[in-house]
Amino acid sequence: MRFGAEDKLSRVQNLLSTELDQETVLMSIDAGAYYGLEGPARTIWNILETPVTFSTLVQRLVAEYNVGPEKCAADLQDFLGKMEREGLLRVE
Amino acid sequence: MSLNAYWAYGLRIHSGLVCPELPVHTEEAGDPDVTFCLLPPSPLESDTLENGYYDVQPGIFRLAVPGVAQFRVEGGCRILIVPLPDVPLEKVRLFLLGSAMGALLYQRGLFPLHGSAVETPWGAMIFVGAQGEGKSTLAAEFHRKGYRLLSDDVCAVALTAQGLTILPALAQIRLCADAFERLGAPRGAHFHVDKFMVPLGDGYCPDPVPLRAIHVLRHSDSENSADWAAPAFDPILGFERVQCLLENLYRPHYLKGQGTQGDLMRLAGLIAQKATLAAVTRRRDPDVVDKLVGFLESAWAERFAIPCLEKRN
Repeated sequence: MRFGAEDKLSRVQNLLSTELDQETVLMSIDAGAYYGLEGPARTIWNILETPVTFSTLVQRLVAEYNVGPEKCAADLQDFLGKMEREGLLRVE
Repeated sequence: MSLNAYWAYGLRIHSGLVCPELPVHTEEAGDPDVTFCLLPPSPLESDTLENGYYDVQPGIFRLAVPGVAQFRVEGGCRILIVPLPDVPLEKVRLFLLGSAMGALLYQRGLFPLHGSAVETPWGAMIFVGAQGEGKSTLAAEFHRKGYRLLSDDVCAVALTAQGLTILPALAQIRLCADAFERLGAPRGAHFHVDKFMVPLGDGYCPDPVPLRAIHVLRHSDSENSADWAAPAFDPILGFERVQCLLENLYRPHYLKGQGTQGDLMRLAGLIAQKATLAAVTRRRDPDVVDKLVGFLESAWAERFAIPCLEKRN
């Protein structure tokens, strides 16, 4: 699916997380699956601690990384799509 | 009721029943951290438990073992024991010191790994692995070579002011028959349930020891003779470390419902960062256990400094 500018994004609740070196490790309690997030993925995960709209997320990443808003939004569509398929993302 | 004072997992335990498996606490004065209350025998009432035989709520764990006893573990500081009529107490203790104690360690925020641990000059070394991979047998071999044991079945990792440490647990080791023969039938050993109980005497380490490494024991079923030459020591990297720690928790299903999974996950991250995790693979051959001690000593000497000279954390 494609995310709309005003879609409200946040973390799903049923996850455990821990910090490991430069990585954030997530465990899905229901699926028993593990995920490692590094670099921008980790930044995105940290931002998603409180619900944000897709457009706000793009703005915050553009402010932090050397990337234009269009490229950022396109990459984010891919990454958030993967997160949603893995059951890590809540979309309202 | 007589007072029996013991010392296990860094906890002062006052027990209503005699527990020869636990190290005796020499001073009887002082308040206990944990009390074992032995109540009068009563028939089993397991129909009230959520999962059939156990139930986990924040701060309260209940366990009903058919044919043995019922346990209620409260707030990390009290275990109520209701044996079934006419049950031998050694059978009750098997579940008291295993399952019920495991639940209590979770309630106290410790990280209980299912495995054995030995004290070495490099720090505490833990051995985990699936059933039959030789955790106790390897510990027994270290014991035979003069190392002091910290734990046989449940290794409690604690975050203390001194960093991550292993809290010593038992004064006996449980061994299957082949490991028992290897130890050369030591004094005071007796058969108990399906294993031999061997008192450790001076071979038991009474003090917490800083954690250095956790080893996952594995067997190679390879037919390739080149793989038979020596065991392998392969560090585990990345987030697999966290996965490996959580997979080797003692009775992990006792955790769900406790309300402390988040804390335990954070502790897993900390352990993964501070300790070395390694897979130790060897071929399926009992004679290798003997050589495995020497192999591990060399692997440790190569990788680790003796910690007495360095400042910890």
